[in-house]
Amino acid sequence: MSTGTQLLVGMADIKVAKGPATFTCLGLGSCIGLVAFDEQADVWGMVHIMLPEAFKDKPVDKVGKFANTGIPAMIAEMEKLGANPSRMVMALAGGAQVFKFGSAASSRLDVGARNAEATLEILRGMRAKISAQDTGGSSGRTMIVKSDTGVVTVRTVHGGETELCCLRRGRRSVAA
Amino acid sequence: MSHTVTIEQIVSKTSDLPTIPAAALKVMRETQSSSASAASVARIIVTDQALSARVLRLANSAFYGLSRKISDLPEAVVVLGMKSVKNLALVAGTYPWMKRPLTGYCLGPEEMWRHAFGCAAAAQIVARMSRKCSEDLVFTAGLLHDIGKVALSVWLENKMGAILLYAGREEISFDEAERRVLGYDHCQVGFHLATSWNLPEEICSACLYHHTPAQAAEHQSVVDCVHVGDYICSAMGFGLGGDGMLYPFDEGSLTRLGLRPEQIDAITDEFVEKFEEYEALFLEIAA
Ligand SMILES: [Fe+2]
Ligand SMILES: [Fe+2]
Repeated sequence: MSTGTQLLVGMADIKVAKGPATFTCLGLGSCIGLVAFDEQADVWGMVHIMLPEAFKDKPVDKVGKFANTGIPAMIAEMEKLGANPSRMVMALAGGAQVFKFGSAASSRLDVGARNAEATLEILRGMRAKISAQDTGGSSGRTMIVKSDTGVVTVRTVHGGETELCCLRRGRRSVAA
Repeated sequence: MSHTVTIEQIVSKTSDLPTIPAAALKVMRETQSSSASAASVARIIVTDQALSARVLRLANSAFYGLSRKISDLPEAVVVLGMKSVKNLALVAGTYPWMKRPLTGYCLGPEEMWRHAFGCAAAAQIVARMSRKCSEDLVFTAGLLHDIGKVALSVWLENKMGAILLYAGREEISFDEAERRVLGYDHCQVGFHLATSWNLPEEICSACLYHHTPAQAAEHQSVVDCVHVGDYICSAMGFGLGGDGMLYPFDEGSLTRLGLRPEQIDAITDEFVEKFEEYEALFLEIAA
């Protein structure tokens, strides 16, 4: 059963909520779905990141599109609802390599790996607590977060639905 | 394994075959010809009532932002440009069957459509950056590159699940699995379809070689654009069904187009920027 607001986190979207909500990040290929939760404030946030870094010579049309602009923007939105970054726990999924590359291919081509790397680097820089991650591989993923239970689920075509983690208390989170 | 259904059988079972309306095909051919004019294109459109209405709706849509109302078809063609008219005709003509779920490929409703339209939009951006071929032709080739999947799905729905499992177990690309199990792949089926519709050679080539662009002897630039567009829209999660993965990416496509791997992010950025608006516009008119 789903409870509360249904939030579809589309390409480059940032969605935040206080109280009951279900977040869905549909069809993550090389993109990253990142969810953050401050249990004390009961505030959730999710961002659908598409590229590692904003371009220096081009204005940013949607902050959620890039890891380096999307993550701070999501956290700022959550702070407006009373969240505190130091209490946040996070989980991420996505960053798949959807095509195969030859051994001599440029690593620039693998958008998925670079997205995951950029996201983790930013989170490490903030000393964020990462509860779980499911990145890489070659499968497209759908990420679903239910705020009432705190359970983060990842669905793939072949693997079906599996629980990635639970961001509510009682589960230990590991520092990044 | 035995090849129970041949490509010829698939393509000849015309009753269930996806088709493109005659008027859309005629518009496409006309716009390719050197003698095409707004008037000659309008004369074709007028034979198809639904298409006429769509062309007028698009010309009068907020997207083109004209203050006066356009009620004359040739004028609408002038406003939109022949290329947009052609794209609209093709999108409207393919949307009804492309939007259907392709269960065999684990694609839900609209997913094949989003993959096709996404590839068309991304490939068009690649063509613009490379300046190696007609953006417009590339759009069409991108839209139709996976039509073989639609045809295969219609007849081999029950078999597709097994092919998918086989590909996963053997860790081979899906087109390889198609060839091993059926004796042919969706590229060859698409090529047969495109040829039977008398589509321009560039589009037939894109259907056949979009996963193996190095093998394309002719019209390689168009094939290369579609190959890169296919990767970008797949990376952004468009139409990643059971087979979305494991296709080899040929970096040679970028090199041949005069593009560098570093430009992948910029192409992707522009794709994400344009896609939603573009899709909404076409869908509103085509649906
Ligand atoms: Fe394909
Ligand atoms: Fe494709």
